Amino acid sequence: MFIRALLFSGLCLLFSFPAHAFDFDLQKMLSIAKKTQQATKTIDEPEEIEIGNGIAANLLGASSLLDDSRAQQYVNQVGRWLSLQTERPDLPWKFGILESTDINAFSIPGGTIFITHGLLQKLNNESELAGVLAHEIVHVLRKHHLAALQKGARMDIASDLAGEALKNKGDPAVLDKAIKAGTEVYARGLDKNDEFEADRMGIVIATRAGYDPYGLPAVLQMLEASNAQDSSLALMFKTHPAPRERLSLLDKIMSDGFDAYTAPAQTDKRFNSEVSQRK
Amino acid sequence: MRYLYALLLCASFVAPVYAKQPAYTVRSTEIKQQPFSDAATVATLSEKASVNILSRQGGWVRITSESGNGWVKMLSLRSDNTAAKQGDTGLQSLLNVGRSGSSGITVATGVRGLSEEDLKNAHPNPRELEKLQNYAVSKAKAEKFARDAKLKTQLLDYLPLDGKS
Repeated sequence: MFIRALLFSGLCLLFSFPAHAFDFDLQKMLSIAKKTQQATKTIDEPEEIEIGNGIAANLLGASSLLDDSRAQQYVNQVGRWLSLQTERPDLPWKFGILESTDINAFSIPGGTIFITHGLLQKLNNESELAGVLAHEIVHVLRKHHLAALQKGARMDIASDLAGEALKNKGDPAVLDKAIKAGTEVYARGLDKNDEFEADRMGIVIATRAGYDPYGLPAVLQMLEASNAQDSSLALMFKTHPAPRERLSLLDKIMSDGFDAYTAPAQTDKRFNSEVSQRK
Repeated sequence: MRYLYALLLCASFVAPVYAKQPAYTVRSTEIKQQPFSDAATVATLSEKASVNILSRQGGWVRITSESGNGWVKMLSLRSDNTAAKQGDTGLQSLLNVGRSGSSGITVATGVRGLSEEDLKNAHPNPRELEKLQNYAVSKAKAEKFARDAKLKTQLLDYLPLDGKS
């Protein structure tokens, strides 16, 4: 009752103000409302690429690229071919081998994918490489990291991101904040369901590109057999569901129909000359 | 000892992809003579039967087991990592040197830089970013790369969450 009386007197007070002051307040309130509404919308493509380049530079600050331009070109060709089988073929896709001996791979908004030298050395053929890269490509297609960034960021950063601050290479301070928040996502990891989705769609992208669909499951089986206590696997295991769980999900959805797809023998020869024999 | 090492190194170059990876069945599974569903059945493995994986071909893996040897569906198996947990035996470490080129020693002294802390404290490296951009390839180059290895595109929809395709 008391509150209602207070509200009423407040309303009276509001209307007693000069008209222009009221207009000003209303506009400000509308602008806040608009920003809040936009915070749930996605960041547009140029912003996504800009943020992604910043995150990529940070990850490259943690581990440099492997100094082997032939292997780098090879991974880029496999990755770019896979990207052409997706709904975002025109992104500036870039693939890089990090010199780190850790076993991991990373996907960055805007179309940058990293695989560590440690993981690449564990792979047996081009289809397994395609399986890993296709999984990472899905994170870009589905904007999993952007969503995690916005979800995990402080409210003010989230609202800036959705607002006008980044348009046309706008506010560098906002971009910096977004890149910092974005880099932290890699230490925290994505939602489990994002990882399952990347597996589920990744095997299809690899198959569309002409590869053996079982490349990714084979890598998961290799990871499953690895010692989970090994420090080279620490971050990967922390940020992903257990390989066993991921294999069970693929087991449910991969019908016998997938047996019909096999990779041409030339891809094995190529993997051997570009990767295996250069380790 | 040195001869043994050299011998193992040579052997590992011609050895199959898997150096006998232990696994177990998650369901009752038929062992086939060939890696095809309609190939002759050698024997039937019960659930939780132990096998050793020798190599993989598509969705099939070649195994040895007490019940018999042959091919089983890869996704009917899960890896048994108890051996890995107990640490590699000397023999396995030697085999790994030849197989992947990275021994335990390489891992211990190699470049890491990708721990949780490393990522949180990373500073941007614009020079490496520029290198990365220079490695990128065009659509046309990627298409040629696929043609060179006779990779053929397939029409396939994404899979529904629960069902088979």
